[in-house]
Amino acid sequence: MSGASREQERASALEGRMDVLVSYVLLGGVLTAVLFVVVGLAWHWLNTGQLGVDYRISGMNLFEFVVDDLRQVGSAQLRPRLLVSIGIAALMLTPYLRVFASLLFFAFAEHNWKYVAFTGFVLSVLTYSLFLR
Amino acid sequence: MSFGLLFLVSIVAGFIGAMSGMGGGVVLIPAMTLLGMNIKQAIAISIVSVIATSSGSASAYVRDRITNLKVGMFLEMFTILGALVGATITLSTGNAILFILFGVVLLFSWVALFVQRHEVWRAHPWQDRFTRWLQLEGSYYDQPTAQTIQYHAVRAYFGGPLMFGAGLIAGMLGIGAGALKVLIHDLVMGLPPKVSTTTSNLIIGVTALAGTSVYLAAGVIDPGLVAPVMLGILLGAFVGTRVLVRMRNEAVRRFFLVVLLVLGVEMVVRGLGGIL
Repeated sequence: MSGASREQERASALEGRMDVLVSYVLLGGVLTAVLFVVVGLAWHWLNTGQLGVDYRISGMNLFEFVVDDLRQVGSAQLRPRLLVSIGIAALMLTPYLRVFASLLFFAFAEHNWKYVAFTGFVLSVLTYSLFLR
Repeated sequence: MSFGLLFLVSIVAGFIGAMSGMGGGVVLIPAMTLLGMNIKQAIAISIVSVIATSSGSASAYVRDRITNLKVGMFLEMFTILGALVGATITLSTGNAILFILFGVVLLFSWVALFVQRHEVWRAHPWQDRFTRWLQLEGSYYDQPTAQTIQYHAVRAYFGGPLMFGAGLIAGMLGIGAGALKVLIHDLVMGLPPKVSTTTSNLIIGVTALAGTSVYLAAGVIDPGLVAPVMLGILLGAFVGTRVLVRMRNEAVRRFFLVVLLVLGVEMVVRGLGGIL
């Protein structure tokens, strides 16, 4: 086997692993989000007999949003609500983690610096947007 | 608005979105405003659920190795900026304008859905230097014809800026704007239809996240309403995709396309009613 085709095969195998990784991040993120939201709603329903969760929300970013609920976790009433919030946070972080996984891949597996820069740009903009307020 | 009603509407929206190939938002937003929800709130809730449906379906496509991750990553640089700007514009725009814009975009995507799929894809004979520098090329295994299809993208210097526009619309209106993205992939960048659909799906998730952040920061997203919508849309889309595989009925698809046409006209009329 020639060196060139071996190199090609290696690149193709790497890309395959990247596809699998990205695919798992996406699926895992959505399933985690659904699980938290469903359990949170069910718990809330068992507590109150109502399905709808009441939220009063002011403008805040994703982290403040979760931290705000965590702060109130001492009150038993709000624990189901926290699960719903974590679910929504997990959903929002799914594409973010997908981009992050791509960055690691381009950097450490492919050593493709052009795409490390592109992915880094996307990740920075998303990070900025998550901290917006 | 009651939890049950919202959940039900979302299931129907997810189902029609998957069956017609236009995504859940285009049905969800008109439906929620008809039930009395403010259009900005409807947009904000819809864009969160767009993350869910796009990530769910992108997962399967990426694993099948049809999605082109490099094309996706390059174009995401433009769409996320568009979405940030778009969502910011929406927050300071009058509701009537949003209704009209939504209706117009809905009608345009509806037309696009008809126009694009009729021609047979052929590989471009040339590739410009910029796109080659970007390494935008790939191959995938086409199941029906049992062939490996080699392809390369072209005109990335047009595709990128145009995708800023697609992201702008997605962020403004809380939809995936998939039809628009696919159109750019097909007509401008010369990607094979399967690659353009699946790659656009991947881009939609990240773009929706950028838009979501703006709406969350503005306090328009009510998690109590997001929960039923997100679950409903996912359920509807899941069932819709399954049904779509089993039932290749053109008549059913056409029926849903008529529904979308009616919704588009209805939104424009309501918007004009708000202005006049």
